[in-house]
Amino acid sequence: MEGLRVKLHSNQRTRFVISNLTVAILNGVVWGLIMALIALGLNMIFGLLHIINMAHGALYMLGAVVAWYFIELTGSFWIALIIAPLCVGVIGLIIERGLIRKIEDKPIITIICTFGVMLAVQQLVLMIFGGSPRRIAPPIAYRFPIFTLQYPLMRIMIALISIGLMSGLWIFLRKTKYGLWMRAVVQDREMAVGLGIPVNKVYMWTFVLGSALAAFSGVLAAPIVSVEFMMGREVLIMAFIIVIVGGMGNLEGSVLAAIIISLIQGVGSLFAPPSVATIFALGFMIIVLLIRPQGLFGE
Amino acid sequence: MEKKSKKKVGILKKEISRRAFIKTTALGTAGLGLSSWLTVPFTYGAEPPIKIGMFQENTVFATEYGYWMAKVGKAAIAKLNAEGGIAGRKVELFDYDTKANPAWAAGMFKKMILEDKVDMIMGSVHSGVHNACFPLAKEYKIPFFGGGSMTYDYTGKDSLSLHGGYYIRCHTHARSQAVAGWKFGFDNLGKKWTFLVADYAWGHSLAREFGGRVVAAGGKAQNVFAPPTTADFIPYLQKVDPDTEVLFTAFLGSAGLGVLRQTVEVGLHKRLQRYTVICCTEGIGQEIVGKESIGAYYIEYHPRHLDQVPKELHPYEKAYRKACGVDDDGKEVGNPMVTIAGSHMYSMWIYPYMIKLGIEQTGWKDSKKNTDLIKAICSLKLKAGPWCPIGDLTMREEDHQGFSDFYISRVEPDLKLKVLERIPKEKAMYEPEVDLRKML
Repeated sequence: MEGLRVKLHSNQRTRFVISNLTVAILNGVVWGLIMALIALGLNMIFGLLHIINMAHGALYMLGAVVAWYFIELTGSFWIALIIAPLCVGVIGLIIERGLIRKIEDKPIITIICTFGVMLAVQQLVLMIFGGSPRRIAPPIAYRFPIFTLQYPLMRIMIALISIGLMSGLWIFLRKTKYGLWMRAVVQDREMAVGLGIPVNKVYMWTFVLGSALAAFSGVLAAPIVSVEFMMGREVLIMAFIIVIVGGMGNLEGSVLAAIIISLIQGVGSLFAPPSVATIFALGFMIIVLLIRPQGLFGE
Repeated sequence: MEKKSKKKVGILKKEISRRAFIKTTALGTAGLGLSSWLTVPFTYGAEPPIKIGMFQENTVFATEYGYWMAKVGKAAIAKLNAEGGIAGRKVELFDYDTKANPAWAAGMFKKMILEDKVDMIMGSVHSGVHNACFPLAKEYKIPFFGGGSMTYDYTGKDSLSLHGGYYIRCHTHARSQAVAGWKFGFDNLGKKWTFLVADYAWGHSLAREFGGRVVAAGGKAQNVFAPPTTADFIPYLQKVDPDTEVLFTAFLGSAGLGVLRQTVEVGLHKRLQRYTVICCTEGIGQEIVGKESIGAYYIEYHPRHLDQVPKELHPYEKAYRKACGVDDDGKEVGNPMVTIAGSHMYSMWIYPYMIKLGIEQTGWKDSKKNTDLIKAICSLKLKAGPWCPIGDLTMREEDHQGFSDFYISRVEPDLKLKVLERIPKEKAMYEPEVDLRKML
């Protein structure tokens, strides 16, 4: 009888461990796709234009804030998901035309100036939006069971939207004329100019697209993380890590890097303290860069 | 023919020489300076104003606290001056932002002492800021009144080495919260607890203080630490033991919202009770936290809603709320999106009054009597009144710690915090670990 009780207890523990591992892997993949989406816009600007945009986190935050106002106005998350990136894209246009274009060949000054933009945007949002976090209710509240836990369907939906958006971007870059122009400018700017490609316009629209993507990811992440003026700070560093580890300008590499880092952190925190799990993830980054300094799929 | 020299003529059509201009300007400046110096003493008596420095987190982090600390502090000083100041002296307030940056805050602390020449300083909820400013309070022997830092140690056994006895705290902290609140949770919610808390001093102290008491009473305590700015709590919620009955959480800002909501998202709320301190959602309306918070239990240090405040305190509470621009529902008047940090901001209302009482009792004139002033303040036993709307407040001389009542509340379906139990301050007291009376 005692042996049976021990066996039952052991089975329960095994079930608990399997359940936790399943959720950790699922959540790692899902969260990795969310992080890949956040890094996508940065990859466009950093990877293709070689501009270090320290304001990327601020644009991500701005997308969430603008979406919050639109949801308060219209009551619709989906309308906000379309409008907010357009609004932030316009802001990206202003930043590119008013600031970046003048300094794009000076990397250090670009870093400092975009850092200044980040601070200015944060303080402006603090003045208008306030310091308290606000919430955006998830548009889908359904949960499905996984062993002993439940998993929110909203996260799966965000992951699927991320995959769709990244696929769309891949098609845009590979199959459209504008995408071809963007790749040409990255390869050889002078040759692109010589071939009649409107390089300045390509830079401008790439920056706008990157800004809109940052905002789009902010709107999608907002139901999970809450909307506040400092929310961009948390994602900026991880976004840079993902872009570098994946390979600058390589979207597939970013997705893989984001999922691997997220999985290491998620599964690692099952067996070790969270700070140790983060160290594992950063250790992975260091090893990749030592072996392949250009990143996983970088050239 | 000689040319007539042209001389400059002023608006008075008189010739003005350079010497005359300089002489007139100097006399006029001296006259203005003398007149401003002469008028001030006669307005409030012959004494200069008492200068109080105030700093709080206006930017970067914990801004919802800083906003209300500043607002209430200014309202308190305005009321004090309207009632005649302190010992016939006007009170002048110097207000700064800590930026939640200990190094910057220490710079502001020093600036207030050396440039603004303040007589005492109050404010801040940030533990790092406190740690950075304690050595300065000790060095310059200036009374430092804590705004809302919850780390028990500041009035614990290391008080002397930390701040030399120059720190005074009238509000709660992790130990008094645990002493007051653990038994309600143990008796009514469950005996097996998991502490999912922020991985720094505040979170650790709550886990230690509450968990120690739960285990000593025969219960079980599991600790799960997560980074303070965690966005995704699922990896940590997975680690909660299957037999846990009470999930105690402690995070600030968006992480505080996230942990409450994600506990519901993974369905844990169906098999355990959620228990937390109000610090997690101070300055954040429950409608923003969301319906996921329904059923969660909070330890409050002063009720958010007027109708939950004990009836006998209503006359004082109404006047206090009116002075601070707060409505009956705990929202800023004219701006219902802004919710009060009601369990923290009262300290900034009470401190100026404690300073007034201390100065008038000791005859304090300047920093030479700071020690006597601190001793007088730390032996105060305040009764509920216009200056103490939270109810009776007892200061303890040994450790410079104040005690007032606690409230256990639960989030109702209408998203209001309903008080279930009032815990008298005597039940929040513990043995002091230091005796600062000997050192001052």
